[in-house]
Amino acid sequence: MKQIKRAFRMHRIFVAQELKRMMEYKGDFIIGIIGFLFVQASNLLFLTLIFSNIPSLMGWDYTQVVFIYGFSLIPKGIDHLFFDNLWSIGHFTVRKGDFDKYLTRPINTLFHVMVEKLQIDALGEFLMGVALVCVTLPKLQVEWSVLRVVLILAVIPFATLIYTGIKIATAAIAFWTKKSGDITYMFYMVNDFAKYPVGIYNRAIQTIITYIIPFAFTAFYPAYFFLTGENPLFNIGMTVVISVVLMSIGILIWNRGIKAYESAGA
Amino acid sequence: MIHVDNLRKEFKKVNKEPGLKGSFKALFKPNYEIVTAVDGISFDVPKGEILGFIGPNGAGKSTVIKMLTGILTPTSGQCIINEQNPTQNRKKYVKEIGVVFGQRTQLWWDLPLRETYAVLKEIYEVEESEYKKRMEFLNEVLELDDFITSPVRTLSLGQRMRADIAASMLHNPKVLFLDEPTIGLDVVVKDNIRKAIEKINAEEQTTVILTTHDLADIELLSKRIVMIDKGNKVFDGKIADLKSKYGQMRELVFILENIKDLEKLEYKSHFKFKDDDLSVTNDGISVKVRFNNSVAPVADMLSYTLSKISVKDISVKDADIEEIIRRLYKQEVDLND
Amino acid sequence: MTKRLKIYTPFISAGIQETATYRVDLIFYLLGDVLACFVSYFIWKAVFISSESEFLHGFTMPQMIVYIFLMFLTSLLIYSDGTYNIGEEIRDGSIAMRMLKPVSYNATFLFQEIGNKLVTNVILIIPLVAGVEVVRTYVTGEIQFNILHFVLYLISCVMAYLINFFFNICFGFIAFIIKYLWGANMMKNCVVGFLSGAIIPLAFLPDTLEKVFLFLPFSSLNYTPVMIYMGMYNSSQTAFYLGLQLFWVLFFWGLSKLLWSGASKRLSVQGG
Repeated sequence: MKQIKRAFRMHRIFVAQELKRMMEYKGDFIIGIIGFLFVQASNLLFLTLIFSNIPSLMGWDYTQVVFIYGFSLIPKGIDHLFFDNLWSIGHFTVRKGDFDKYLTRPINTLFHVMVEKLQIDALGEFLMGVALVCVTLPKLQVEWSVLRVVLILAVIPFATLIYTGIKIATAAIAFWTKKSGDITYMFYMVNDFAKYPVGIYNRAIQTIITYIIPFAFTAFYPAYFFLTGENPLFNIGMTVVISVVLMSIGILIWNRGIKAYESAGA
Repeated sequence: MIHVDNLRKEFKKVNKEPGLKGSFKALFKPNYEIVTAVDGISFDVPKGEILGFIGPNGAGKSTVIKMLTGILTPTSGQCIINEQNPTQNRKKYVKEIGVVFGQRTQLWWDLPLRETYAVLKEIYEVEESEYKKRMEFLNEVLELDDFITSPVRTLSLGQRMRADIAASMLHNPKVLFLDEPTIGLDVVVKDNIRKAIEKINAEEQTTVILTTHDLADIELLSKRIVMIDKGNKVFDGKIADLKSKYGQMRELVFILENIKDLEKLEYKSHFKFKDDDLSVTNDGISVKVRFNNSVAPVADMLSYTLSKISVKDISVKDADIEEIIRRLYKQEVDLND
Repeated sequence: MTKRLKIYTPFISAGIQETATYRVDLIFYLLGDVLACFVSYFIWKAVFISSESEFLHGFTMPQMIVYIFLMFLTSLLIYSDGTYNIGEEIRDGSIAMRMLKPVSYNATFLFQEIGNKLVTNVILIIPLVAGVEVVRTYVTGEIQFNILHFVLYLISCVMAYLINFFFNICFGFIAFIIKYLWGANMMKNCVVGFLSGAIIPLAFLPDTLEKVFLFLPFSSLNYTPVMIYMGMYNSSQTAFYLGLQLFWVLFFWGLSKLLWSGASKRLSVQGG
């Protein structure tokens, strides 16, 4: 309990540091946020143009697809906002020997790395996601129930940790290979599949994004439950299970990696 | 305080053949080679000592320091520091040590310096009242006040180093590891840093392990050095011992009235110097004669020189540590006598 | 001429070595990008399945699929990193060093990048073109490879690369104004992606927009080569759009020259 309290306190302090840093570079951060808004806006424009030609995409109407798309941006944006520093581990921190710093400090290395930076640009992604969900909600033909709302909100942190877990596991490979940013990138790109209804993909892709690199649980399955109320055990329950499993695998690889870490130079 | 016992570290190195073919081979059937970076090193450091830890590039200095600070896990052997094993309970252990790597900084680059201390206070769980006292002390020793409100990226190298040392001392560690703390600094700044280290050591009895390329650091700060080469310990003892034992070299510097007189001096045949024992260099004005004091005492050299020629100015220099160590690195001195 | 070019061979070879060091990374990055390509493949497939007509804005489903993969291939071939490189050099001041060398600034960047691209493009072009043709044969049911279209495509790609290169150099100069190039670059890539038809064929846009976009330099990047490869243009259209590409190459080349001379004046005023 005391440890958890300390973790929250440390997190708050790191975030505060990052906000102060942000104030030093206000212009840059605004550009970053707008940049992300641009990316999302262009994707939205793409969906809109597509739907101007067809009434529905394999049974999904425009509002539903935009809802799923918007929902997918929320966990992605949160992970991006808070835990983006994991990328740098695989890109250069380990290779340049800068990881030493974390090992000389009396807090958990993974925790330290995760909370050290705040990627404020990701607000563009997150806010766009929230906006799309809010705009589409009233237009959706959904049977509202307290359970659905509670479950969809409760599943967001778990969906987020699916991203985080995959990033931890792939970043930790750098402890052996010195560099793993490219591997993280490859895995991370699979998340693109999660933004749309899985029904549009073939069996192979469906299996991959459900069971192997399970990004479908970060967006489509939870959103599907919210839209239809079907099968909460799979759509929500599995999201939680997969998220816990992936985080555990990530932490396990990380801890083993620390022991194998060989610093830079001799 | 520090007990190092037969410490060993091996690295696996992948031997890669050149070219694309080599890379593919390395990818599927890597050819490993075991490289021993540190080959069984032992030494002890009592509380409050400043130990100079030296050796040529690639000798294994950093590897030892990284094992002592818990960054690397030893292949075998152990180190006990402050009654703790660095790798066993890392988080508890690092609270009692401070580490400065001269080539890296642990300061928050974009923020005013004091923000770094505010965060480190939390990371190391330093009490508010203690923190105030520490800051006062560190400020007095390292004179941080001039730049504590400036963003770290705007600090000069010397200021940054002072700030980094303060950052490593904030939690009042019992052992301080300084890896190249004066690298790249000018003479005056180096001197300030050395004085600060001396003061910290004197006032708090902090044990200091210091690695450096600048032997003046060692000469001014520590009484004892441990020297390693190729992963082995080659010397462990007082600097004074090193000097009296291996410091037979002296330097005679004089200015000739007529540079042609130089031909009249036949040190080699007169004193029967071996090749290694003597070197004479001149820049057209002044002449430098380096010679082995045990073959020809200074007095004899002086009287011989003055009897042969007339000089404007003459001086004799003591063996400096740098010279000894340079010779040690080149293995001109046999350390096993 | 050969003598003049000879001074740039060190830049080419530096570029080759740079890429050779990171080739394993490149493969992973490429795989990541191929995944994104497959996402659009499935979306378009679903779109055509959901549509009532066989044609959407002049595209059949097989054509659309070929379009997606060709877009991917073309983007890869004409990729240019100039904005980031030049921006970094402006930021850390090393641009002054480049100006001291007795060679053309543009050319040093260009030849270094050509070195990079020699490695990636030579390795990738055959398997990727073969891949595209296999997909094309599979979805259309017959071999469609046309050697004339392919040669014209390659010529068009070279010009597209040069446009991209000089445009990126020009864009890199905003580093004099904006420090955070990453964000600005993201915005640029996004806008260029849309205007060049990489996200959706320009034919899907409202008519007036399409006409305007076709005259903007960005359609000369990806859209023109892809349409030529697919045989969507007749010979007079092909000639016209190749001419337009040439115009844009010269335009951005001239603009970058102008910006460089402006920059060197500015640097000498600031004292480097």
